[in-house]
Amino acid sequence: MSNREKHYLTTHQKERIAVWVKILIAIVFFSPILLGLVCSFVPDEYLLIFPTVKTIVSNLTVKNYVKVWNGFPVFTYNKNSLIMCFMVIVMQIGIGALAAYPFAYLDFKAKNLLFTLVLIAMMIPGQVVYITNFLTMRKFGLLNTYLGMTLPSFVSGRTLFLFRQSYKGIPREMKEAAMVDGCKELRYLVQFALPLSLPSAASLAIMIFIGEYNAYLWPLLIARSSKMYTVQIGMEQMINPDAMPTNGRMLAAAMMSLVMPMIIFIFGQDYILRGMLRGGVKG
Amino acid sequence: MKKNQPKMLRRKTLGDTLFPYLLITPYFILLAIFTFYPVVNCIWLTFHATNQIGQAGAWTGLRFWKRVVQKSEFSQAILTTFKYGGLLGVGTFSLAMLLSYLSVKQVKGSKVYQTLFSLPMAMATVPVAAIYSFVFDRYGIVNRIFGTTRFWLADTSVRFWIIVLVTIWCNCGSSFLYLLVGFRAVPEELIESADLDGAGPFKKFFNVYVPIASPQIFFVVFLNILSAFKSFTMIKILVGTEDSEVCNLMCKLYYYAFVKERYETGCIYALVLSVLIFLVSRIQFFFEKKVVIYA
Repeated sequence: MSNREKHYLTTHQKERIAVWVKILIAIVFFSPILLGLVCSFVPDEYLLIFPTVKTIVSNLTVKNYVKVWNGFPVFTYNKNSLIMCFMVIVMQIGIGALAAYPFAYLDFKAKNLLFTLVLIAMMIPGQVVYITNFLTMRKFGLLNTYLGMTLPSFVSGRTLFLFRQSYKGIPREMKEAAMVDGCKELRYLVQFALPLSLPSAASLAIMIFIGEYNAYLWPLLIARSSKMYTVQIGMEQMINPDAMPTNGRMLAAAMMSLVMPMIIFIFGQDYILRGMLRGGVKG
Repeated sequence: MKKNQPKMLRRKTLGDTLFPYLLITPYFILLAIFTFYPVVNCIWLTFHATNQIGQAGAWTGLRFWKRVVQKSEFSQAILTTFKYGGLLGVGTFSLAMLLSYLSVKQVKGSKVYQTLFSLPMAMATVPVAAIYSFVFDRYGIVNRIFGTTRFWLADTSVRFWIIVLVTIWCNCGSSFLYLLVGFRAVPEELIESADLDGAGPFKKFFNVYVPIASPQIFFVVFLNILSAFKSFTMIKILVGTEDSEVCNLMCKLYYYAFVKERYETGCIYALVLSVLIFLVSRIQFFFEKKVVIYA
């Protein structure tokens, strides 16, 4: 008996060791960010002379963060990013959820043709539309506005597809029963189809958030003043050597703009996994 | 059941007929303005000289096309685009495969490394680029580790590879999660029976995990190639979009259209890039039917 238990313990221990080795690998993988985090708390003068561990530990300071906070409207950058993400999430999901309903449930003329158009639009690479959309926005006077930053992202084939799929997943009997009871299409959409699709919408919202928060080229083209900069664009200003000549402050600025999406990611991880299962891969 | 539905209980009113169109109108208006019109306009502009505000001027036919295609920077940019595609495609995919196979077992503590491996996907590119520009700085971490004093990002012989490495690190997170989802879908019984038959980790990987996760693997390979074709942010932040060996078609598009305001030249680069992306995604659809094993 003791022999068996010993054997069990050793495999168990092996597993524990394996977990710790993997955690170590993960820390090495993530180390650039961790080192950056440590160095962001080190005064600039020490970063220029290759600090030793001892000087780092004895000189930790939040001076870099204070300087960044005072020198740049970091709060505004974050606010702009959030507004942009929020607008795209609400409008893209709203417009997509409405447009998906007829394709899932109703018969109407030109349904197939219009659906083919959606498919064709999904095949068009986004790179080809940048220039013209920029010119359009300038013509409409939408440069340097939230609407200009978000309007082209209001429509997405992926969102339409996901909602269509989600509507189709609702048992048909439910709709038939509602119809027999005199429920109209609009009411069915608002009271049944939409609420039942909320889980898809939640994982989609997180995916959109990550995508929009990371958007770079489009906000770069549209945002013209620091009042409208998103985190990404503001960050680029901050690492510009003319504005932010030192590494310490640059790192502090980077850390400040990484915190929020990282927290959202860590808590929303399961939703993201689910979203990937639903939206990403067929099969 | 679907075919012989009960007939509508009440007559179709005008409202019923219009209702579907009402719902899809906002979607298609935006689609027309921001997707279909730009494609047409982009092609149209390449045959014209454009002015500062991007209006088409005199018809120039293929003159700008000839001018762009004959320049060596054009072929250089295409070559660089393909180099990014190949290296980032293979590199990101391999790293993600390795990391997700490491994390496939769900045990106590696995959430820790799973989170760390996938976290880069939640990090905005510019701050990450800022941190890496410190890592490779004159006073940065790499120089400190190796005891050197090189300007890595100014060195034309290595900076292309630095961009590749950093981009792999950045893009690996989402591929990792996709593959993890695929690997974890492998039924427990299959793994157990493979264990009983004495299959080692390599055999198990190639004969059990890879076939079952083939939809995800296939998807991830093309996801990475396609996103590598579009890589731009990292290049712009780490090196810049002025003509150099690290510039791909996306950089040229940005440089000509938005720095130089030569919209017709920018549109030519945009079209070439889009055609390349389109072709690769067609190849993806073509091979999907042949390679992927759907259970």
